[in-house]
Amino acid sequence: MENLGRLFFDVEIILDTLPALLREGLRNTLILSVGAITIGLVAGLLLALVGISRRWWVRLPAKVYIDIFRGLPAILTISLVGLGLPAAGLRIFGRERLLYGMLALGLISTAYIAEIFRAGIQSVDRGQMEAARSVGMSYLLAMRLVIVPQAVRRVLPPLTNEAIAILKDSSLVFVVGLAAGERELTRVGQNIGQQSGNFSPYVAAGLVYLALTIPLTRLVNRLDTRLREGPSVRAAQELPATLAQEH
Amino acid sequence: MAQVPRVALRGLEKRFDDVEVLRGIDLEIAPGEVVCVIGPSGSGKSTLLRCINQLEPCSGGTIELDGLDITGRKIDLDAVRTRVGMVFQSFNLFPHMSVLDNVTVALRKVKRMNRREAERVGRERLAEVGLAHRADARPADLSGGQQQRVAIARSLAMDPEVMLFDEVTSALDPELVKGVLDVMTALARGGMTMVVVTHEMGFAREVAHRVVFMDQGAIVEQGPPAALFDDAQTPRLRDFLGQVL
Repeated sequence: MENLGRLFFDVEIILDTLPALLREGLRNTLILSVGAITIGLVAGLLLALVGISRRWWVRLPAKVYIDIFRGLPAILTISLVGLGLPAAGLRIFGRERLLYGMLALGLISTAYIAEIFRAGIQSVDRGQMEAARSVGMSYLLAMRLVIVPQAVRRVLPPLTNEAIAILKDSSLVFVVGLAAGERELTRVGQNIGQQSGNFSPYVAAGLVYLALTIPLTRLVNRLDTRLREGPSVRAAQELPATLAQEH
Repeated sequence: MAQVPRVALRGLEKRFDDVEVLRGIDLEIAPGEVVCVIGPSGSGKSTLLRCINQLEPCSGGTIELDGLDITGRKIDLDAVRTRVGMVFQSFNLFPHMSVLDNVTVALRKVKRMNRREAERVGRERLAEVGLAHRADARPADLSGGQQQRVAIARSLAMDPEVMLFDEVTSALDPELVKGVLDVMTALARGGMTMVVVTHEMGFAREVAHRVVFMDQGAIVEQGPPAALFDDAQTPRLRDFLGQVL
């Protein structure tokens, strides 16, 4: 029993592993995730807007893209982009393997985020678009000023979930062959674990993930409740007073 | 010389797939005229309004605004819609903006007015509907009647040539209806050209210059309110009035 405890939860090894995890692993995990989500937010919103077009031939490329990148295992996409692009001579990022990984994750999150935005945009009442058009706004202006701002509020919880998913999937970037200094959390934990013959470094890496994902999960739950119960309790309390004031 | 009508519908047709919703509507509305459109549900009243500002493209016929055919291909519909105000049954205020921003957003972003000027106009229009003191509120903090008055102010801010009202009191609690109708009455008295689809027969009788009775996508009867309400010529209108009065 004691041996088992030391195999996974050796405090000394965990503490020894932490500096490398934080300095190299956390840094690279955050670069991968934040970069991928940024790509996903921008490209995903554009793809969502294309995907709700009334013309089928405008919608089609968006549908195909989403079907492909949601349907492939992440590790396959990362391999194709991270190993395939340079092998094909498309060294858009030179030897920066982390950036190929980031692009691959970004392409994947674009597909998921596009679906999230599409659902959000379509959940906004049709009357909002009609009201915006009826005061002379163009379709795109109405989207920008009226529809998308409302959609974004509604999709904050699923977007945060997507951020968590990308954060975890960034561990798959190891397949592109990360050199020292490029390794993300999982790879750092794995390497140290293999050297020491102990699983505590894996556990240490896991703890760092949890320190990131658990607060994010809490945030989702808070956002979810707040969006379901309305903007604030204060506004709800003001409502009867408003009615009384009028009559 | 005859005056150019503010709005002229000529042979207006609208089909949804195989369903004919409007079957050749001819209607001319003079500047300053208030026309109430009544009729059973499904008669095409709302579609008629939605065609006038081209929220629904029409399937046939023409729509003229001050003599300009707005059904042509080269027409800038966004520009046309700034001249045609529309108020909806479900208010459709922008919930993420303050009341004042609801009224001024199109002034600023469509008419490119600077914020100070837009807010001056916005506050004026809000005062006209009795809501100047609620400029900073959110739509969700207002009663339905107040929200509908803000929606009217939002349309008025664009300084339209004609206002379309689509059953604007139907979603309101009974005690909130009067405040909205009072605003509309004042507008009518002030000379605004209005097309009002409504079930408020009292309003139609008192405020309208002309009442149009529609059934099954066509105009069945029209005339001054007194004539229409007290001396209906067709059995269909008599049936309808028998049901609503």
